Amino acid sequence: MDNGWNKLFLRTSNGYLFAVAGIAVATAAMAPFHDRLSSTTVALALLLVVLFAATGWGSRPAALAAILGGTCFNFFFLPPVHTFVIAAPQNWTALAAFLITAVTAGQLSARAKRRAEEAEAGKVEIERLYREYQAAAEQAKQVEIFRQSEQLKSALLDAVTHDLRTPLTSIKASVTTLIAEESSEDPVKLDTESRFELLEIINEEADRLNRFVEHMVELAKLEAGELQLRRRWGSVEEIIATARERAAGLTAKHRVEVSVETELPSVRVDATLLAEVLYSLIDNSAKYSPVGSTIKINAHRAENEMISISVEDQGRGVPAELRLRIFDKFFRVTTDGNQPSGLGMGLAIARGIVEAHGGHIWIESGAKDCGVRVSMLIPIGDEDDSEGDHEND
Amino acid sequence: MTEPPRILVVDDEPQILRVLRRGLSARGYEVQTASNGEEALSVFAQWPADLVITDLSMPQMAGLELCRRLRKLSQVPIIVLSVKGEERTKVEALDSGADDYITKPFGIDELLARIRAALRRTSSTASRELTEIDLGDFHVDLEARSVAVRGSSVHLTPKEYELLLYLIRHAGKVLTHRVLLGAIWGGDYTEQTEYLRVFIGQLRKKIEPDPSNPRYILTEPWIGYRFSPDS
Repeated sequence: MDNGWNKLFLRTSNGYLFAVAGIAVATAAMAPFHDRLSSTTVALALLLVVLFAATGWGSRPAALAAILGGTCFNFFFLPPVHTFVIAAPQNWTALAAFLITAVTAGQLSARAKRRAEEAEAGKVEIERLYREYQAAAEQAKQVEIFRQSEQLKSALLDAVTHDLRTPLTSIKASVTTLIAEESSEDPVKLDTESRFELLEIINEEADRLNRFVEHMVELAKLEAGELQLRRRWGSVEEIIATARERAAGLTAKHRVEVSVETELPSVRVDATLLAEVLYSLIDNSAKYSPVGSTIKINAHRAENEMISISVEDQGRGVPAELRLRIFDKFFRVTTDGNQPSGLGMGLAIARGIVEAHGGHIWIESGAKDCGVRVSMLIPIGDEDDSEGDHEND
Repeated sequence: MTEPPRILVVDDEPQILRVLRRGLSARGYEVQTASNGEEALSVFAQWPADLVITDLSMPQMAGLELCRRLRKLSQVPIIVLSVKGEERTKVEALDSGADDYITKPFGIDELLARIRAALRRTSSTASRELTEIDLGDFHVDLEARSVAVRGSSVHLTPKEYELLLYLIRHAGKVLTHRVLLGAIWGGDYTEQTEYLRVFIGQLRKKIEPDPSNPRYILTEPWIGYRFSPDS
């Protein structure tokens, strides 16, 4: 605070000093030639000092300069010189004009200076506000990123708990049923068939847990770009058959139609991974389309040495605005406030695998705008790219 | 009961349906399954079950909605299957008429015990026109509005009596704070859980042998209370 006052004091006293010195110097410079200089020239020179004082230090030093200037003008320049007497009446007018002009000009230029300073301050303020706004926006962005990562984390947690707990529930219920039969006193009528089915369920669900773990690992590898493709020449038909066989249990209540173009060339792909992609597409179709509806699998040759494979269902479809996000990790479409079943990993993995093959995958409406068709284009592949594919594990 | 009790199991997870069908049939129950709420309602219309076991999260009509719809149709006991993290939905389901819940993963014995308790309840509450109720350690004289626990009578205020009678009439069932408050104090009080806690505390002092370690009025953390008439 003190510092501020000191500065202000210094500034204003500098102004008064300038006013006094300026008028003194101008007067001293012109006084010897007072008989040769017209009163207008003198008045203008003194007026200049007033203007400098005004623009430099504001209206008060300017007023001091005007009064001093007027006094000196009268004393040194208006005849009779070296007196405060003014002989000619027009010189009274000249003095009065000088004083009025000096004071007014001083006021005006001081005001102009103040305006300029205010404008400058305004500009500085706007710049400061803008910087603050930018910082706030940056912070908001960080918060949003953080929130999204938190959301992803909780989605991951939901997905993981759901997909671990569901098979565990079946396993635990099966095992405890078998244990109860061994140990309880009341008669438990488990026939051979039931016992076998319970053991079968335990086995299947253990596989499912294992698949889930594999998926997690696969996803991590895909994300780290460490997925090794083991490309071999193989037939698209066989890949589709493998996927269908694996999904047989899921599609028991659906009709599955396969149409593969005749003379379809062999493809050089990782058949296991591609079958997995198809399996998860069939799985999704079975899950999200009504019992008894048809799932169509189609494969044909496309341009640029590509093969097109698609899986189409007659379910409720996916809203257009969600079609890009559906391939995101852990993204699941929820309908009517119900919780989705399954995991948002299948399509993310599918996309990763297809893209690793140099192909691409997308989603659109099925025939007649009903249901969903997921299509992919996979390069047929050629011998030359065998360099990049080692057969190591 | 001469014919075996019928149980309808609802879950979108086919494996769970397979296990429960086998496990419950082996214990002499008749079992039907459905994989979503709509299917369950249509099965129930043709085949009125004595008990419904339903999962909470299913595509196409979730368990919560199914509870509401079933309650409009009948008083059939409902046990909901929930997983950790569905606490809010679980409470909503209990509020909308479910009787009990069991958390996945569960052992079959626990499920069977819940089933037996729920079925016992329906057979005991069927006779409402009694003048007295004998249940476990409790004897209620409805005309004299008096209660005896383990043979000795307890002095209760009118509100305490109403609360205890409600608990006895719904023995074994999980009663949420909201349901209890609504039943005893009316709809305006459903948020006043503090109120309920005070009354339960008083009641425990009068009927429990060891009020700090209750054996009749059991606390279901974050959800409500469950009354068990036997020590």
